[in-house]
Amino acid sequence: MWHFLSTRLAMGFLTIWVTTIMVTLLIHAVPGDPVQIMYAQSQGTTPEQIEQVRRSLGLDRPIHIQYLMYMERLFQGDLGVTIRGGQPVLEVIFQRLPNTLMLAVTAMFIAILIGVPIGFLAAYREGTVIDIALMVLAIAGISMPHFWLGLMLLFFFALELGWLPVSGNSIMNLILPALTLGLSNAAIFARLTRSSMIDVMSQDFIQTAYAKGLPKALVLRRHVMRAGLLPVVTMMGLQFAFMMGGAIVVENIFSWNGVGRMAVEAIFQRDYPIIQGFILTFSVVVVVVAIAIDALYAVLDPRIRRA
Amino acid sequence: MDTKVDTSVHASPLGFWKRLLLSPNGIVGLVIVLGLIFCAIFAEHLAPHNPAKMGTGGRFLPPNSDFFLGTDEFGRDMLSRILYGSRITLLIGAVAVGISLTIGMLIGMLAAFRRGWIEAILMRSTDILFSFTETLIALSFVAVLGPSLQNAVIAVGVAGIPFYARTCYSAALVETSKPYFEASISIGSSPGRLLFFHLLPNVLPTMIVVATLGVSTAILAAAGLSFLGLGAQPPTSEWGYMLAGSRDYINRAPWLMTIPGLAIAVTVLGFNLLGDGLRTSLDPVERK
Repeated sequence: MWHFLSTRLAMGFLTIWVTTIMVTLLIHAVPGDPVQIMYAQSQGTTPEQIEQVRRSLGLDRPIHIQYLMYMERLFQGDLGVTIRGGQPVLEVIFQRLPNTLMLAVTAMFIAILIGVPIGFLAAYREGTVIDIALMVLAIAGISMPHFWLGLMLLFFFALELGWLPVSGNSIMNLILPALTLGLSNAAIFARLTRSSMIDVMSQDFIQTAYAKGLPKALVLRRHVMRAGLLPVVTMMGLQFAFMMGGAIVVENIFSWNGVGRMAVEAIFQRDYPIIQGFILTFSVVVVVVAIAIDALYAVLDPRIRRA
Repeated sequence: MDTKVDTSVHASPLGFWKRLLLSPNGIVGLVIVLGLIFCAIFAEHLAPHNPAKMGTGGRFLPPNSDFFLGTDEFGRDMLSRILYGSRITLLIGAVAVGISLTIGMLIGMLAAFRRGWIEAILMRSTDILFSFTETLIALSFVAVLGPSLQNAVIAVGVAGIPFYARTCYSAALVETSKPYFEASISIGSSPGRLLFFHLLPNVLPTMIVVATLGVSTAILAAAGLSFLGLGAQPPTSEWGYMLAGSRDYINRAPWLMTIPGLAIAVTVLGFNLLGDGLRTSLDPVERK
């Protein structure tokens, strides 16, 4: 188990390290002069000011020095300041990150609570009309663009029925975006759970369990569920990354004040320090969650726990 | 060494089409995809109006006999815009998947074929890029290159590379350990011959399935970027962009929202079903 976890941990650190390099290089990949582009939208910036920004960002130094400067500041918790407003980037991100995490986690719960039982039912009734109907529903769900689902939910629940607010940042406002993100991922969980359960049900140890006379409910609960849910747990890390990505779009539909909406605004405003900070934060969150889920998996699966 | 007889798909090329056409997923998917290609090719002849002409009808006309799908905020015919949009959508899917597939396959095949440090470097970097997630890679690309449809397509294509490389790598690993491949090495075939005459044709069936399913992912991702304003720019009749514009008129003209969304959903569904059908017809294990 320790070998398994230490490999994952090393890979996670490597990923974050590569991200820091990419983030430093990002600003150089911009066609043209990044400082000119960043300030193109704000009037009355003098050439002296531009030169000063270039120096403060370290853009007048060789690239490896720039990287070392970036890393030095990073270890002091300094991600630079925003182009518009001059606020510390870290502060701007930390104001919004809890909103995004709350959205992603709620959506994850919705996806699991809907997807896993549907997948289990379909597997249990494999080959019947119920199975086929549920799987048609799942493939339709996977094909549905989540931004469209979001707009439709907005239209029906907020505008037509008036049950929920259109936008804002209270708990009531969380329902529609979380539902949008959760429903579109529930279909993926349903398909995964189904194939995993079917796989387990056809294995020898399940036959043995029946053969020794265990009641069906007990076999399903103790053997099929436990073994069949393990691949679902493994997938949760990747799913969480999807949720974070999906949150970027969903936050924009419902004006949810998270890091995704901030990132899209920053792209429009060419606010590169925010974009850099966002990419770094995103990959740190995804890596940390993936490692946490790998650890959970290692604890749950005796084959890894005892290895 | 593996001495079992290879039950590859080439054994029965006719059986493959029969299986595809008999699988409900495959046939429905095929019909949708062919229908889309038809719309895209004959958009000029099928479209009742000029998709870009403003004031063809009144503004916000609900669907009626002259304008089957109504008109938008500039009085443009929605049906014509959707029909022309199918061209853009299919082009987006084809180009993005083309980028991911070619580069991904090259990386995957090379890694499986060369082994050693080339394999280590290629596959470790693929793993790292894979954990960045496609959304983040695509978004970073657009952030650097600036918002435009062309950049969005490149971004989506590049973002897909790690997944295609991984899949191709595992398919190619299986092939390189098969007797026919080892035999070809032992009679002194050139690396080029091994790669392009032996490895390529044998990983292709797997990659076709992946690419078909990948078209739907690419279309969804590009439409998502356009929806955010980071892809297609006005006056393109790109579906994701049309959907984004509909938000402001959601109460007044809900058909502006339902129709482009439905178009994207049906397209994506078509490629998903076709990919599913292809997989079950190509993979003897799935078939049962």
